[in-house]
Amino acid sequence: MSVEIENICGRYGQFEIEGVTHRLYWEEAGSGIPLICLHTAGSDGRQYRAVLNDPAVTSQYRVLVFDMPWHGKSSPPAGAEHGTYQLTAAIYQAMVLAFMDGLEIEQPVVMGCSIGGRIVLHLARNYPERFRALIGLQSSPDVPPYYDTEWLHRSDVHGGEICGAIAYGLMAPLSPQAHRDETVWHYMQGGPGIFKGDMHFYKVDGGLTDDDLDHINVTDCPLYFLSGEYDYSGTPADTRVLADRLGVDVIVMEQMGHFPMSENPERFLDYLRPVLEEIASGSS
Amino acid sequence: MFDDLTATQEKHPALLRMGRHLSTVCMLSAGDDDWLVTIHRGRVETVRRGPHVMPSYVFRMVAPARDWQDFLQPVPAPGSHDLMALLRRGVLTFEGNLHPLMSHLLYFKLLLATLRRGAAA
Repeated sequence: MSVEIENICGRYGQFEIEGVTHRLYWEEAGSGIPLICLHTAGSDGRQYRAVLNDPAVTSQYRVLVFDMPWHGKSSPPAGAEHGTYQLTAAIYQAMVLAFMDGLEIEQPVVMGCSIGGRIVLHLARNYPERFRALIGLQSSPDVPPYYDTEWLHRSDVHGGEICGAIAYGLMAPLSPQAHRDETVWHYMQGGPGIFKGDMHFYKVDGGLTDDDLDHINVTDCPLYFLSGEYDYSGTPADTRVLADRLGVDVIVMEQMGHFPMSENPERFLDYLRPVLEEIASGSS
Repeated sequence: MFDDLTATQEKHPALLRMGRHLSTVCMLSAGDDDWLVTIHRGRVETVRRGPHVMPSYVFRMVAPARDWQDFLQPVPAPGSHDLMALLRRGVLTFEGNLHPLMSHLLYFKLLLATLRRGAAA
């Protein structure tokens, strides 16, 4: 055979999330410690293509990446009315737990980026006993609105074009062009209003209060933060304030923006592999 | 600062395709200096530096000259590498009818980036 077939396997399954049945798509590769990866707002699991394809990771970890409902190949639930999608902290947490329960996954590592880097904080706050470790990429406790997200979903503005334009700027200027292009393309393929609906969690509903942060105990569940220096949404400074408060370190990734696993996968893996080694060795 | 746009736009031929439905007039302001930019079907036709008498435009982008200069570096530093990064830091503001800008956001990002020294020809 002349084609090099990747070791990624894609599957569908029915998951119950807050009483609603969702047909979710996920991809997985490898075996060992479960590592569930959460994609960014308005995108899908393709962002983790390099993690799924990295033998150094998949030799120790069973990597699983699901497309959130309404994203990628996970369609909206039956009967859902288009234009109503709005992500909340409650739904997002229920989604992660439903994925774990549906596949009978216990004590996984969960790694999320952006909104995913936010939800791991909620998981650390509310369900620390269920995770072996949590990894936040571009994590911040909240992001004050700095542009009007109404522009992301209007009949007189092409949703794919505007979402792609927003994603474009969040990357580091020297990240490889092909990976930047692919990252933008994922955004251009998002459904109408989905990026905006995710922003509801990121900028309105999903912020953590000081009290929330006081209730995160990193001895219950280790937390790791990695932050790209070119991210102006969740900046390294934002992550550092958060990390200092929680008493953990931040790995600042140079020449990296908001989508490390997708915009510059090889560089990201150089940062990620030691973290996963540490978690696997149980030395955290 | 923006005088060369009529020439530098040629570095990025895709701009004409991306902006084929874009005809507008915008003002770019850097400190006390203004440039009135007229775009027709994606082509920058004129860039006129002020002072202007009763300039008429659809929208305006305003930032201190220093921040525009940082944005226009060949490899800008974090926080200066994108229009939205400047917006996030509160040094850039968008004013007026923003529809031409937001419906062609990538066009404007790429157009202004052609002013960077070493930008791909």
